[in-house]
Amino acid sequence: MGVLKVELKRVGKARMTWVLLVLALLLSAVLAYLPVTFCSSTYLDENGKEVTVTGRASIAYEKARQADAAGLVTPERVRAAVERYQACLRQYGVTESYDLPEGVYEREILPIAPLLHGVKEAFADPNTGMAPSLWTIQPERLDQFETVCEDRLASLMRTEQPDHPAAQQKAQAMYQEVEKPFTACPGASATVMDYQNIVGFLVLLFCTVLAAPAFSGEYQSGADDILRCAKHGRARLGAVRIIAALCVSGLAFLLCSVVYLLLSNALFGWDTTGASIQMVYSILSLVEMDLGQLQVVFILAGLLSVLASVSVTLYISARCRSTVTALGCALVLCIAPVMLYMTLPGTAADWLCTLLPASGVGIQTSILYALVDFRFLSVGGLALWVPYGMLITWGIEIPLFFALTIRRYCKMVH
Amino acid sequence: MELWIDHVSKGFKDKRAVIDVSLQLTPGVWGLLGANGAGKTTLMRIIAGNMEPSSGVVRYDGIPIQELGRDYRALFGYLPQEFGFYPGFTVQDYLEYVAALKGLPPRVSHERIAALLEVVSLEEVRGKRIAKLSGGMRRRVGIAQALLNDPEVLVLDEPTSGLDPGERVRFRNLMADLAQDRIVLISTHIVSDVEYIAAKIAVMKAGRLMAAGTTEELVKLVEGKVWSCAIPAEMVPAYERRLSIVSLRSQEDGTVVVRYLAERPCDNASVSTQPRLEDLYLWLFPQSEGKERGGAPWVS
Repeated sequence: MGVLKVELKRVGKARMTWVLLVLALLLSAVLAYLPVTFCSSTYLDENGKEVTVTGRASIAYEKARQADAAGLVTPERVRAAVERYQACLRQYGVTESYDLPEGVYEREILPIAPLLHGVKEAFADPNTGMAPSLWTIQPERLDQFETVCEDRLASLMRTEQPDHPAAQQKAQAMYQEVEKPFTACPGASATVMDYQNIVGFLVLLFCTVLAAPAFSGEYQSGADDILRCAKHGRARLGAVRIIAALCVSGLAFLLCSVVYLLLSNALFGWDTTGASIQMVYSILSLVEMDLGQLQVVFILAGLLSVLASVSVTLYISARCRSTVTALGCALVLCIAPVMLYMTLPGTAADWLCTLLPASGVGIQTSILYALVDFRFLSVGGLALWVPYGMLITWGIEIPLFFALTIRRYCKMVH
Repeated sequence: MELWIDHVSKGFKDKRAVIDVSLQLTPGVWGLLGANGAGKTTLMRIIAGNMEPSSGVVRYDGIPIQELGRDYRALFGYLPQEFGFYPGFTVQDYLEYVAALKGLPPRVSHERIAALLEVVSLEEVRGKRIAKLSGGMRRRVGIAQALLNDPEVLVLDEPTSGLDPGERVRFRNLMADLAQDRIVLISTHIVSDVEYIAAKIAVMKAGRLMAAGTTEELVKLVEGKVWSCAIPAEMVPAYERRLSIVSLRSQEDGTVVVRYLAERPCDNASVSTQPRLEDLYLWLFPQSEGKERGGAPWVS
């Protein structure tokens, strides 16, 4: 305990720790506010004059306009919304909502927009995946909306995983477990989650910068020569240093995530967290979760990813005699998932992103997106949903690299 | 209590830094003399357990130090030639950090730090960041950390570099006090650091142990090779070019007494002189090769 206390004091006394922590907190606050600035609404007032509102005023305006759409998205409500949509288009003699005269969309369609989410996706062509126009959908088919969704998932999985029937069956089984109907909450935004992911990635980078010199910096400066000669200067110091780095990284991630969520939920409204993820992301998403639960799950899974990444960074640090080399390698590890995701074919990318610890908060590879996606890892006749694979991998990587780092540090005699 | 360096060698890719060194260190101050690159630091790092020898073994009381592990480190104190520190740490913080790693309980640690800061005259800067200290003060912080656990084996690599003359004297006195019931090994290329306090001295050259013993035993190696003569001042440059000069001392009559090393006197006026440790050092580590060692008369 004494060694951990002084090690935490050492980390706490380092200016770099505070600079990065304060910077991360500031960025979390800024990034929480940023999605609000993208909100803009235009409508015609009583005098027929065009009014544009932005930011929180826009959020408040849209929430007020869509208030009636809030609640359970039953097939009846979806059918009514589609009928109203089609009637509106019929009235104005157009086939797409963007051809409507000025002010009509805001008046007629905007209030029912949350209920229309996912309808086109559910009625997509089973072979091509092309979504039809809402105009062409027969309203009576919406009476079986849940069955339509299940059928669409089956066709989607046949297209995405043609050679893996186990994955197809697993996806369908998971979707059947999801409680329906879904819940719509006006104002719920996927952008908030995208920015939470960016916060996670930035914190990961900061934690990497902090962890990379943990051992390599000592080798480089010669401080290690004295410490390693002390009674507890080998395995115990190695373990304590890892624990301290994991504590600081975990704390930084949690703190920044909490600050971000408190601010963004306060700005968009806590009521939006009750929206089913199927009403924000794909209507075919495989897990039963609302936006608030997704935020919490992402924090916990992201934390695991950051801790696994820091564990690997510490191992790299224990191997490198130069801080620059350690930092360079660790940063490459942070951006590797997104690079691989962009360059490798799907299956290989899925496997590598599952194995790489930093993918959990990666810009495109994040577990956030995996949670609302349909990617499976297939081995023989078995299929594992990618988020489960990620969690298992990181759960293994943390203790594995903990042990390897201590071993490497103890053996690092020059 | 005995530290036995048993046929230790260490090679790197392109260099053999330590070659078959054997030495049995017993309680008292030991000086490890050698020029830069002689292999002193490598040997000390091996003794500290920070480097594994290519062959050979270091034993403490008959047991290899690798086997003793933590038990050896618990009774070991080490000051490397150069060491890093944490910029945010004050002297007190740093010593507390090292004390915790050495397994000292907090209460003992506070008492020990206070006592050592007094010994190394750093009480007034205990709250000052190490980054703000002078080189000599940092060196003293290094000495203090090495002594925190009251070690039985104390290894100090160039401990006096950066210390001013007064600090050097205090350091020598401290080492003389500490030498009771412990092994103190001090590496240096400054002969005066160890000449008067070291009970025994080992001399390394090009990775090999050239000699080891008491000062008296060692200086016998250059007996009959130390000469002095008085020459006119204008001839000094010519002597300096040809001879291994140990010292020059100007006299009132305008002549200069030259103390030099040679197998034979360089002139008839030279007389044999009582050797000192410094003479041995310069004999083993001439400042430049190719100077007259044979002592054939060249000045008429």
